[in-house]
Amino acid sequence: MTEKGWDQFLTDRDKRVFASAGFGATAGYGERPALLVIDVNYAFTGEKREPILESIRQWPNSCGEEGWDAVAVIGDLVSACRGKGVPVIYTTGVVRNDGWDMASWSWKNTRTAESSTGADPRLSNRDGNEIVDEIAPGPQDIVVYKQKPSGFFGTPLQSYLQLLRCDSVLVVGTTTSGCVRATVIDAFSQNYRVTVVEEGCFDRSQASHAINLCDMHAKYADVRSVGEVKEHIDGLEPGMFSLPAGQVGMS
Amino acid sequence: MSFENHCWADVVPQDMMDLYSVYERETFVGPKPALVCIDLYNIVYRGGPEMPLDIQDEHPNTCGIYAHRAIEPTKQIISAARRAGIPIFYCTQDFRPMNRPKGVGSTKRKNVTWTKEDFDIYPEFTPEDGDIVLYKQRASVFQGTPIVSHLNFLGVQSLIMLGESTSGCVRASAVDAYSNGFHVSIAEEATFDRHELTHKVNLFDLHHKYVDVMHVEEIVDHLDTHFPAK
Repeated sequence: MTEKGWDQFLTDRDKRVFASAGFGATAGYGERPALLVIDVNYAFTGEKREPILESIRQWPNSCGEEGWDAVAVIGDLVSACRGKGVPVIYTTGVVRNDGWDMASWSWKNTRTAESSTGADPRLSNRDGNEIVDEIAPGPQDIVVYKQKPSGFFGTPLQSYLQLLRCDSVLVVGTTTSGCVRATVIDAFSQNYRVTVVEEGCFDRSQASHAINLCDMHAKYADVRSVGEVKEHIDGLEPGMFSLPAGQVGMS
Repeated sequence: MSFENHCWADVVPQDMMDLYSVYERETFVGPKPALVCIDLYNIVYRGGPEMPLDIQDEHPNTCGIYAHRAIEPTKQIISAARRAGIPIFYCTQDFRPMNRPKGVGSTKRKNVTWTKEDFDIYPEFTPEDGDIVLYKQRASVFQGTPIVSHLNFLGVQSLIMLGESTSGCVRASAVDAYSNGFHVSIAEEATFDRHELTHKVNLFDLHHKYVDVMHVEEIVDHLDTHFPAK
């Protein structure tokens, strides 16, 4: 493998193992991708750009400034996909007002009750599950509501990809180690070709971000730079997909 | 093809037909199809072409005459699929050792002690090299199997289904296929159950709501026309 962002976290032995065991080959793009934007909502970015240790006082899941850097990148990719009529599918969380269905999340984090309202609800009118305004879903985009890490778990995502006749997914969002990784692995397991856009993903942990990109690139996906992926999108034939007409609400 | 009322026309009353007329539409075989043969295993053919009620004490789960009537049409579709070179899937009971806890099955039927041979594919339809056999524990071929990943891998976009039972595994599989975003065509004469009434009413439901029930001849013609032999 060429020099990657995660190399600084690997031991010399790790590098030799990856180099000689055949991992990290290029799976390649499919012909009919969808862009998956995983959980880029205020719970994971905070309401404004702030250093992460300040941001998590109000929003315990916030990834701080890295999130806002990624939002700009994601915005470019969303525009590029819309321009070609490539499906843009967002995921975000959904939870009962009483939080009962947080369930397993609450077993592993002591602040889950704050995750969608903020630590002090008086300080914010935002629902943490609201997708950030800068990349708000457009009328022909699709939003999938989920409760667990993978965008495929307990959702219609697979059926939408089937209806759209997608053979591949381009993945951005957060967290690299959590919902991005879970979604990537399920997409891989369903035999979609998976590309992860490095600058479009973020995590609260620098080490987890790097190592999860390393793992995904080794085994499940091609981790590529935004420049490469934009070039690929720009080369796609426009109008390949039968997208939603753009009506508001459900029939 | 224009919408047709198939084998159920003699059992479904006119008011029910009228009530369901809102589902009428063109029917067709979708793009990039695969054939899925549901549960064509030995036990449903046992006892020969007799009425199931007369032979089921000796041959539990047999579909008797209905299974045997479907043999020729089933062979016609499988042959057409082979000529067309489209993927052919079979499913049958998971009979691998130690595969499930007690009480897990396709239906709530009283326990019968089965052998692996009972669930081998009937010799008239033995899978060939390149076919795919999936092993399932419940009614639907989508439940707990890798079928979606296989279909994605092959670029399949539509399914042609046949087999048994119409009210059980065919219906469950067809509804799951629909729910997963696939267009489904069911081959009428190659699909069967233990009793005509449940066969007909289930096909009625499926045809109106979820799938296109088509004649074997229509499906064979479609495959021969769209996938000419190379």
